Amino acid sequence: MASWPAHPALLGTPTRRVDGPVKASGRAKYTYDLQRPGMLYGRILRSPHACARVLSIDLSAAERAPGVKFAMPVIDLANPEPLTHKVMYQGQEVAALAAETEEQGADAARLIKVEYEVLPHVATVEQAMRPEAPKVFPDGNVREANVDETGDVEAALKASAHVVEGLYWTQVVTHSCLETHGLVCEWSGDQLTAWSSTQAVHGMREGLARGLGIPQTSIRVISQYMGGGFGSKLGTDPQDVICAQLAKGAGRAVKLMLDRKEEQLSTGNRPSAYARVRAGVDADGKLTAFDAETWGTGGAGRGAGYPLPYNIYQIPVRRRRHKDVYINAGTQRAMRAPGHPQGAFITEVVLDELADQAGLDPLELRLRNLPAEAPDEMWRRYFPMGAEKIGWSRRHATGDPTPGPIKRGLGCAANRWAGAGSRRTQGQCEIFPDGGVTMRIGTQDIGTGTRTLVKMVTAETFGLPLDQVVVEIGDTQYPFAPGSGGSITVGSVTPTTRVTCEKALAALAEKIAPELGVDPAAIVASNGRVHAVNDPSRGMPWKDACKRLGTAPISVDGQWETGLSSVGTSGVQFADVEVDVETGITRVRKIVCVQDCGLIIDRLTAESQCYGGITMGIGYALFEDRILDRNTGQMVNPNMEFYLLPGPSDIPAIDVTLMDQPERGVVGLGEPPTISTAAAIANAVSNAIGARIRHLPITPANVLAALAEARARERRGASGSPQATEPGGVQGAPPINIGGAR
Amino acid sequence: MAPKDGFSVSRRDFFKTAGVGSLATGLLGPVELGAQAGVREVGPGAVPIQLTINGRRHDLTVEPRVTLLDAVRNRLDLTGVKRVCDRGACGACTMLLDGRTVYACSILAIEAQGRDIRTVESLAAAPALHPVEQAFCEHDGLMCGFCTPGLVMATTALLEKTPNPTADEARRALDGNICRCGTYVKVLEAALATKGGRRG
Repeated sequence: MASWPAHPALLGTPTRRVDGPVKASGRAKYTYDLQRPGMLYGRILRSPHACARVLSIDLSAAERAPGVKFAMPVIDLANPEPLTHKVMYQGQEVAALAAETEEQGADAARLIKVEYEVLPHVATVEQAMRPEAPKVFPDGNVREANVDETGDVEAALKASAHVVEGLYWTQVVTHSCLETHGLVCEWSGDQLTAWSSTQAVHGMREGLARGLGIPQTSIRVISQYMGGGFGSKLGTDPQDVICAQLAKGAGRAVKLMLDRKEEQLSTGNRPSAYARVRAGVDADGKLTAFDAETWGTGGAGRGAGYPLPYNIYQIPVRRRRHKDVYINAGTQRAMRAPGHPQGAFITEVVLDELADQAGLDPLELRLRNLPAEAPDEMWRRYFPMGAEKIGWSRRHATGDPTPGPIKRGLGCAANRWAGAGSRRTQGQCEIFPDGGVTMRIGTQDIGTGTRTLVKMVTAETFGLPLDQVVVEIGDTQYPFAPGSGGSITVGSVTPTTRVTCEKALAALAEKIAPELGVDPAAIVASNGRVHAVNDPSRGMPWKDACKRLGTAPISVDGQWETGLSSVGTSGVQFADVEVDVETGITRVRKIVCVQDCGLIIDRLTAESQCYGGITMGIGYALFEDRILDRNTGQMVNPNMEFYLLPGPSDIPAIDVTLMDQPERGVVGLGEPPTISTAAAIANAVSNAIGARIRHLPITPANVLAALAEARARERRGASGSPQATEPGGVQGAPPINIGGAR
Repeated sequence: MAPKDGFSVSRRDFFKTAGVGSLATGLLGPVELGAQAGVREVGPGAVPIQLTINGRRHDLTVEPRVTLLDAVRNRLDLTGVKRVCDRGACGACTMLLDGRTVYACSILAIEAQGRDIRTVESLAAAPALHPVEQAFCEHDGLMCGFCTPGLVMATTALLEKTPNPTADEARRALDGNICRCGTYVKVLEAALATKGGRRG
């Protein structure tokens, strides 16, 4: 059985990204950068309406416009099913064309005449859940899931020493990939080559074959460099099929890259999450029950579910009732740890409120409710480590008593993720008589460093320096590897690479074993030599060994095996924030991250995953919000100046501690570091200002509203009845000490 | 020029009477201005223009509405800097115009005539790397890499003016650039590690 080396030369070292030089110098050609001979530019006309029926599409003026080579409807009015004539959100594809220049394409798209019957729409979950609301789908706007119940919730809450009750929610955010979705399609007869900004070259081939009704053998998909996906580029989209059809129709190569507005409207988002929660603890600070009625929207489609309570803390009695709510907006897609940031935020905020009620330190409450330590459940060890690093001992009770407008606070949260490998992964390795090595695997590097990891494992296995092995990825001509989603890539491709290279090395060992007088099974490669495992002097230089191959290279295929990877990561994060209670502005001073991911292959790129996940988490916590106008259903901020992403000045000191677990093999790391950041920040803000933050993003308005509500409650006094509260409401919340806020 | 659309002044008259000579110069460039006192209208069709990019002169024909970014990327195949937001919010298209950073998506190609335009391709000839590019690689100041050439250009401009920036100066200089993968910590490390002498 394949295994990782006990004393690796390369694995675990901080190794520079092998494609860093071509990317930093601008020499890397992304899909967006490609030029093909005679290439046209594709342009899609999209619905300006949130909901409408398309009555007619007249392409004639567009077809006559300068530079236009081909135009086509996307909505097929000949389709007898009337539902297919309906557009469900602003930005849905209606028609498309290809022209000589981008400018001509944009002009011509404006000449397409579309007659719409504008229909009533719903743009918010509040609108959609009203009984009289227009229906997004014929069966209504709400799809209720089964009730999930363990134990007697009412009895457990009644028996609890303290109960917290409230409404919590998170916003919709967009992936905002810097390279927009898109592709270049070129036909040669019936053969299609598609250069695509995708997270799954093999998945894209399958999707294009289905969409175009042609065999997979007729399609080649290539993605050498791609500018970010975060889950939104796993599938095959309408524009992918449209681009191939335009190229076919025009008889020319077509590039179709979405513009920024299209990217914001129609390429996915993280759904919103609402939860009305009741949760309790007993007198010992043990969690007793968690009752949640939840809902959220993934736009005009399903998929707004999320784990709640977030599955880390032990809660014996639970009830969960969930509804997906449909609105007229672009549909959700997997986004970096789908569901987890929402579930973690709500659960961790509830935990801090329970700690306040019970008069316990929030860290102590967590420690009392964590499961026992296990390789994939290490929070009991990581929480104290993080606490030490953030300086938890100086944490004050909720509400910074320091005079003046600047309040500081600390918060924490945990995360977990699976990150297993896929057994379907395959690879191919060649060793050439001149000493060259090529490892091929049909994965893709979406910015996570996959190319670097494959190269490190290849070089490690053959005992060669990095620059003496060639790695080829990002092409369906290479053996199957799964899409880069769910943090499964490292657990899929590095074991497969190891297995394949070991197999190739074994074939080489067979060739030289007689000459060395050594059992081939006892031959290994290290330091540029192939030699007996126990006696490095009985061997020969790598190049000499390869010469023994004569004229025929070794070529082997390999398949993923167990034993080189594990399932499950755990981590914790702490936030130190500063809030100006006069302006409501929150500044994150520091994030501490303690995170494991099994065996670390490349420490440098692994750390970058943590920095990156935390940075994205800061955007989720403080800034990002897809805003739909409730009257028109239009996105108000389909751009990058009003859809706010964090910039260099928003980034705090970030302290990353990666816990190495070499005995577990590799486990994926792409998603876990982004899960707990917003939860930790929200708890830190509440700790600073003495008022509860129960929804994201934590904008100045959100902070000031929380403070105003806390003051109002203080005026009402302990005897005052809880006010109701939609949205943003606070029911049965603990008494809040606003300290020296004013 | 006859008044159109019921307006009593033409666009040209408006420019004259409003006395926005500098604006007109900026819009149309010295070639169009010529010797005459007024402003020559160009477009809307394609017009010949001349751009000096990375020390080389390029003659090309573009519509006046074409941005410097699109002219350079689509017509000259210099694709190092990227089009991301296309409206001056993210910095992925950062070029240097007479030594100052600009968002090339927010400048028309015709405006850039007669100016010294530098793209990321000017920094080093393959396979060599500029010290800033080298520092980005050493510190892993890049992930997907799509924002990276823009950040490299912004860092280069900073270091050419301020060879030993403080962390605050570096952060301010790079604040016009957005990275979605979240490389800022490492980018700032790289920017500060390149200091210690004029590296530009």
